[in-house]
Amino acid sequence: MSQRTVDPERSGAAPTEPEDEGDLIGLVPQQVVGPVRQGVAWLDDRAGFSHLLHRVLYEAVPRQGGWAYTLGSATLVLILIQFFSGIFLLLDYVPSVSQAYSSLDFLKTSDPFGAWMRGIHLWGSYTLMFIIGAHALRTFISASYKKPRELNWVTGVFLFFIVLGMAITGAMLPWDQASYWTTTVVTNIPHYIPGIGNGIRTLWRGGNFVGQATLTRSFALHIWVLPVILLGLIGAHIHLLWRHGEHGSWVNYRTRSADPGGEIAERLRNAAAPYPTRGSDPVYSVPSDTVDFFPTQLFKDTVVSAVLVIFIGVMGLISGAPLDGPANAATLTYVPTPEWFYLPLDQLLVFFPLGLVGFGVFVVVGIAATLVIALPFIDRSPERHPIRRPDVLIPALFLIGSVIYLAMLGVNRLYNL
Amino acid sequence: MPHLFLALTPGPVPGTVITNTVMVGCVALLHVLFATYLIGSTSIVAVSEVVSMVNHDPRHERLARGIVHSWAYLFGTGAAIAIFFVIFVLVGMWGRFFVTFSQFTFWVWFFEALTFVGEIVLLYALYANWDRLGEYRMARLGMTILLNVDQWFQMFFIDVIASQMLTPVVQGKPDNTSYLLQFLNPTNLPLTIHRTFGNVAWAGAVIALTAGFRYLRATRREEAMALAPNTHVEPVRALGAMPDGELVRERNREAAYWDWAGQYAMLFTFVLTIFQIWVGYTYAKEIQLHSLDSWYQMMYGWISNIFLGQFAGLGLLFMAGVAYFWRRIKAAGQPRPARRLQLALIVLFLLWLFGLQPAWWAGSYPDIVAAHLAKPFWDGGVEDPLGFFFPWKVMVLIGEMLVTLFALGTFLRARQRTPMIMGQASRGSQRLLIALGVITCLMMLIMGIIRESSRSPYLVNYSIQINHQVILQKPAPNIPLTQRPIGP
Repeated sequence: MSQRTVDPERSGAAPTEPEDEGDLIGLVPQQVVGPVRQGVAWLDDRAGFSHLLHRVLYEAVPRQGGWAYTLGSATLVLILIQFFSGIFLLLDYVPSVSQAYSSLDFLKTSDPFGAWMRGIHLWGSYTLMFIIGAHALRTFISASYKKPRELNWVTGVFLFFIVLGMAITGAMLPWDQASYWTTTVVTNIPHYIPGIGNGIRTLWRGGNFVGQATLTRSFALHIWVLPVILLGLIGAHIHLLWRHGEHGSWVNYRTRSADPGGEIAERLRNAAAPYPTRGSDPVYSVPSDTVDFFPTQLFKDTVVSAVLVIFIGVMGLISGAPLDGPANAATLTYVPTPEWFYLPLDQLLVFFPLGLVGFGVFVVVGIAATLVIALPFIDRSPERHPIRRPDVLIPALFLIGSVIYLAMLGVNRLYNL
Repeated sequence: MPHLFLALTPGPVPGTVITNTVMVGCVALLHVLFATYLIGSTSIVAVSEVVSMVNHDPRHERLARGIVHSWAYLFGTGAAIAIFFVIFVLVGMWGRFFVTFSQFTFWVWFFEALTFVGEIVLLYALYANWDRLGEYRMARLGMTILLNVDQWFQMFFIDVIASQMLTPVVQGKPDNTSYLLQFLNPTNLPLTIHRTFGNVAWAGAVIALTAGFRYLRATRREEAMALAPNTHVEPVRALGAMPDGELVRERNREAAYWDWAGQYAMLFTFVLTIFQIWVGYTYAKEIQLHSLDSWYQMMYGWISNIFLGQFAGLGLLFMAGVAYFWRRIKAAGQPRPARRLQLALIVLFLLWLFGLQPAWWAGSYPDIVAAHLAKPFWDGGVEDPLGFFFPWKVMVLIGEMLVTLFALGTFLRARQRTPMIMGQASRGSQRLLIALGVITCLMMLIMGIIRESSRSPYLVNYSIQINHQVILQKPAPNIPLTQRPIGP
């Protein structure tokens, strides 16, 4: 068990002085002590951020398997990159059907860092999609969604859906050929819903056809509506993480002594905040060994995030982001191809007869999405090891295998077009 | 001497239906049964090796060893059939097709042959040194995985050939002799995945069948006593210095091992066959999109009746599997999951019955159309709308997938919650394993017949005819993507 700093708020003791060793102000180099230190002390006195940082940095996390638990923070870093690179793109982009393409062409050819920034935004979204998927997979395998962390899972799944929504609305904005035809195909999908489908399509398009209103609405969704929801969900997700603590996986809860009950009771007695997890099965309430988030876990998080940021920067520079010719509604030869993360869905629709596409999009995919969201309420057994959860592991393998297989078929199909 | 060649090249190829079609089919199907078992069983050996290294479970060790020993016999026989197939059948009887086809698939054949070299080296090295390599488990595992990779590529290259024969023309890209296009042939990927799963499922079925037999043999005496408690049963004879009691314990150990092996192997068959529904559907869809004639032949031609047989076989396989789960869980003394499995079996049976009805009561759909009988039976025709593939048979397939996933989850969960004592299986459950193996074998053969007959009247679709192996000069039909049928 790591040596823990007692959380003053939980213990009821008086808050520690900011000057104490190990505190934020204690980290300020002695050379700059003076006005800066006084300023920081003043701010801390008024805002109390030192206490907040203390709580964040010195929270206990499981010691074993820390590298696997870096994907959540990496997801957050990638979302922040998307926000910042998106802000830079907004400085040039004009959301108008007559100027969107030329503004991006200007960004690409005349702005010194424009092409790179667009590349970072694109590769950031690709990497984000991959990492958020890996994070979800890790959470599933380790059964971190189980009581009392059900809402962590639910908010995380919704976060994933919002990110997918941002990716598709972002793809509509350049108003080049790819973007125009993606918009046409995607905004057409709602019309497969019986009854209200045509109304939703008209609402999104702002009429019967794709045009300025469609671009404006997609732009609003991309930069305003979806990010607000995203930020709200991120806040909720992080709050829930702090509330329940990092679960880790079954390896963090193994007992080593001949008296497992006594060992678990000992763990509960010596638990460091935020453990013991409230409402959890006592066996999975406190990891067998913990460390402070700072510096051990933060170091791992930083390394993984830094590698990803470098990867995005390099790929943004080398590969950039494509820009087709300007949108041309009159063309008959252009074949729209979806982004790679939509390939499985696109390929799935190929397998449905025309009359059943709506069934494929909304019923089959809807049932799959509902099952994913409801996973913590379906799998209520106390088991954490994946092998001991065959009733959810097998359908999950089936789902994951199908998604990968559909993506491969999609790539093959696009190649043979 | 040039006169000899001139005399050989033109004119029809000699041969009869028996030699050129039936014999080719029989040899090919036999070869496939051996080859697929070898590839699939290597995957099972690799899994068992990993498990035995992690858990130190001697049963996995024994199973892996047994499978490796079976390779020596089966590879020898299978290789002899393969050589006979290539030299006598392909070169001797189908020479014009084989020579022409191998001209632009030369490198695929070359690498195929190369994988055989790798297979022979690794397979016999493992067979001859399996016990000695027990000291070096990682090396043994590495060699097994290498063999599996080698065999997978062997299958992949043959799939390139098979898919090239079925869908030779890539839409909009007339240069179909390009190797890259051959590898990325539209039906190659689904066929490869279909066979990857199918090989392991088939190997699992063979092992389950063997285990079922061995279990029955190990418990023969107990059955005789149970059937006729008052009759005299020959006492257990001691082997050499082994006392009677020791022999009984040995027999119990054998029963426990084969009970476990059968269950372990049948799970591969059962699980992967569930996935096969989905993969098989995508394969059929790619055939529909890229080789409509073949698809039509399978769904509406005379082969559609054989396809219905495959559909029935699939249902029987699932029923045998779920019945095994039910019997095994019942024997383990878990009534609640057993009742759930019984329910699943009933639902499966009803689905099977519903899916079994043919869409029409005649040879093929074109025959019905020609006879002006393509209308529902209540209008005087021979069509049964409830037997149509869309949506009814698709719904049956989806239903079978859901029920089998439920049954599998129920069985595994019950097995997890209350550890199962091996060796207590009912003899009926083992007969179900044997049935599962036989059904799988029949399905392998039926699938081969369907696949090979679907190209008729071509050997290579639109390029070489089966009849006298006539090489056609006309280009293949080029249907624009937008005009291709999406659904039946």
